[in-house]
Amino acid sequence: MMLIVAPHIMPNNYWLRIYTMSGLWVMLALGLNVVAGFAGLLDLAYVAFFGIGGYTFALLSSSQLNVHLPFILVLPIAAVFTMLIGITLGSTSMRLKGDYLAIVTLAFAQIFKLLLLNLDTPVNITGGVNGIFGFDPINFFGFRIISSVAYAYLIWFFAVGVTLGSFRIKRSRFGRGWEAIREDELAAEAIGVNTTWMKLMAFAGGAFIAGAAGALFASFQDSVFPNNFDFPQLVIVYCMVILGGLGNIPGVILGAVLLSILPEFLREYGAYRMMSYGLILIVLMALRPQGIMGEVGFLIRKKIRPDKDQTGRLRTSTELYYDENAKPLGISESKSQYAKSSLAVLELNHVTMDFGGIKAVDDLSLVLHEREILSVIGPNGAGKTTLFNLISGIYPPNVGSIYFEGREITGLKPHQVVKAGISRTFQNLRLFNKMSVLDNAKVGQFCRTSAGPLSILFHLPLHTKEENETDRKAKEVLGLFGARLTGYRFDQQAGFLSYANRRRMEIARALSTDAKILLLDEPSAGMNPQETIEITEFIKSLRDLFGYTILLIEHKLNVVRTISDRVIALDYGIKIAEGSYEEVANSEKVIEAYLGRKRQRVFS
Amino acid sequence: MEIYLQQLPQQLINGLTLGGVYALIAIGYSMVYGILGMLNFAHGEVYMIGGFAGWWVLHLLTRNNEVLISAALVISLMIIIAMAVSALVGVVAERFAYRPLRNAPRMNLLLSALGVSIFLQNLVLTYQGAKVRFFHIGALIPEGLRVIHIGPAVFSFMRALVIAVTFLLMGLLSVMIKRTKVGKAMRATAQDLEAASFMGVDVNRIIVLVFLIGSALGGAAGALVGLLFTQVDYYVGFQAGLKGFTAAVLGGIGNIYGAMLGGILLGLAEALAVTFLPSAYKDVVAFVILIVVLIVRPWGLVGEKMPEKV
Repeated sequence: MMLIVAPHIMPNNYWLRIYTMSGLWVMLALGLNVVAGFAGLLDLAYVAFFGIGGYTFALLSSSQLNVHLPFILVLPIAAVFTMLIGITLGSTSMRLKGDYLAIVTLAFAQIFKLLLLNLDTPVNITGGVNGIFGFDPINFFGFRIISSVAYAYLIWFFAVGVTLGSFRIKRSRFGRGWEAIREDELAAEAIGVNTTWMKLMAFAGGAFIAGAAGALFASFQDSVFPNNFDFPQLVIVYCMVILGGLGNIPGVILGAVLLSILPEFLREYGAYRMMSYGLILIVLMALRPQGIMGEVGFLIRKKIRPDKDQTGRLRTSTELYYDENAKPLGISESKSQYAKSSLAVLELNHVTMDFGGIKAVDDLSLVLHEREILSVIGPNGAGKTTLFNLISGIYPPNVGSIYFEGREITGLKPHQVVKAGISRTFQNLRLFNKMSVLDNAKVGQFCRTSAGPLSILFHLPLHTKEENETDRKAKEVLGLFGARLTGYRFDQQAGFLSYANRRRMEIARALSTDAKILLLDEPSAGMNPQETIEITEFIKSLRDLFGYTILLIEHKLNVVRTISDRVIALDYGIKIAEGSYEEVANSEKVIEAYLGRKRQRVFS
Repeated sequence: MEIYLQQLPQQLINGLTLGGVYALIAIGYSMVYGILGMLNFAHGEVYMIGGFAGWWVLHLLTRNNEVLISAALVISLMIIIAMAVSALVGVVAERFAYRPLRNAPRMNLLLSALGVSIFLQNLVLTYQGAKVRFFHIGALIPEGLRVIHIGPAVFSFMRALVIAVTFLLMGLLSVMIKRTKVGKAMRATAQDLEAASFMGVDVNRIIVLVFLIGSALGGAAGALVGLLFTQVDYYVGFQAGLKGFTAAVLGGIGNIYGAMLGGILLGLAEALAVTFLPSAYKDVVAFVILIVVLIVRPWGLVGEKMPEKV
């Protein structure tokens, strides 16, 4: 409503221009928000993408190359072409970590500017410093857009489109995947998010929007110059996104509007403008990294307080943790439906992992049978966690091969291993702490869903179906843990859960990937005796009631004794014992590994 | 081919000079990265401010093309004051822009560094203007000493000076890091900041010292380049920063010997490339080297590949 009226109530053409430009800035800021806000990538080539869009438009609808395509074709061409450049740049540099990516993209932006300035000789393509001007007017099926008011509508139309798209993508598997990557990239990969692909998608999405904005800008300004797409513009867009809060869509829009209007009131201090952008970045990062809109009390939905029940009565602390519904699946109540079979599902053949001379896992072979609970024990540094990292694909083994259900999975990336059906937990808890409990579980379904950007943006049936399925699955898995992870806890940030509940959350997240094999790395670490008994029963029930195959690292021997079908003991990466708990526990070598050798003369 | 061979000794000298300067800048990047794991975007600006400080010293001590005090003293003062001013800027930036973010996500730290870079660049733009400042070094060196001919190559006095000063500074730094107690504390902090603090190292002081030394070396590079190419403006930090960073990555970021090696190699590569390439694209050489190194061997020539700890 306001957007329709606004162009007509602007006092003069000057303000109408600012109004239109602020629409463009909103588009640009939201595009950058996809890359930097959602996916957490410091992309300093963003303004070059804006420029590529602008120059693509300029070359395809002017007398420069004597090409005159209609706008309705040029706009998508500019956006898609820019996206392809973005994908190319992204795919070469995506393996790099944060800071390196920033530098490579910065270097790319510099090369782009150098080309714009120098490609006027020997053949005049970019017009050098003089730029390109005088474009064909926009013509939509005979409906010409020339007047300033028409431009205001056109540009804000796209700005609103990008806003809607941003909201939709944020609440989709893409949004959750990106958030997981931003929180903990390795955990995201290990829970089935194809991190390389998702980062590339963010890069492509940002470039697409920047390219479209570039084309609109070029047409609006009726000219393009190299200094329209330079470092200062990049800094301004970054300031807008950071002022609004990385990833916060309403905040970013507000930031973009504020920073496109505010400088107009401060014109006499123009010299200090860029300086103050620098200061904005420093001060916001130090004092309010979440942006002006982040976590402002009255703006967010009122949360149900976990310490009160529906009537507002304060709960006692025991009620809080042991709710009447908090009955995890008792083993005694239902009959065991599954038991160990003799079918081998996971096989490791002579696997070795060598860290520069230190063999963390040395020529290890093991077989895991279907629906078996196999425990791995051994002193600290025996190579237990490295074994998990090898199976889950975090390290490729130096020597040896790993087979899952007869198919070789050696050298697969972690997300491919999860998709194949093996998921894991981490010894030192790597939850996505700022995401809700429900979203943590939903990330697990990432590898089982396939909705692409188009399905998500237009809410096609595939997306809707998958979202419902993901929601149902996540709630079902969390439901296994009773009230500890359900109810009001769905919306609670994972980082606020108690230690034991975070351990449970790790297991829930691994379960939500629909894996067949669970690798549990010390699931009872840090739990008290009561909680340990409970989690032990729970793990046993995962096999007995649901048929999971479980490989377990555990230090508490009573847990190992209670649930293991078989036990293997590692020391210095070598398997020193294998068999039933009694066999392993009484093995001379195992006792030696834990307690040391009996005193004997070493130097004879 | 003949002509390239003839130019070779000259290009080697040019490359070595340029390389020494890149090495000085690269050390600052590498030291900070080694300790905080952060990329100090503002380091190029620190270098630029060193250049301006050097210019002001020369400007204030020159009247009618005559230096007021002995030339050797002027050059020493230029370098020392440039180092002091840059060190101050580096330390202040650490205190106000980086220290509050020590435990924040890395991206925030990078953005803050970007903010410092923009702030410093525009601070200089606002108070010094956009125009290029020229170093009138005519008064500094007597006519007869300006160039020395060695075979086909021309060895200017300034180039000799730059090479001498850069190697002296790098030597001093090596001795400090290897032989002194503070150097030991620095190496310990770089390996494990937390463990070093448990062992009684005042980590905050070490970090300040690292910024101080790194920025001082950057400032020295700024003044030296001013003497060599006789000009400075507010925008030079950007290119120099990228070059220094490339040198640091080439050698293996976090390793100061790698930074030295990387700087000299990059200088030589650029000097040799200008004989083949149109000069407008000279700067592309560094970017291409950077991108290739990052993709093929991101841990650099000297650095070690580290598996990620899970």
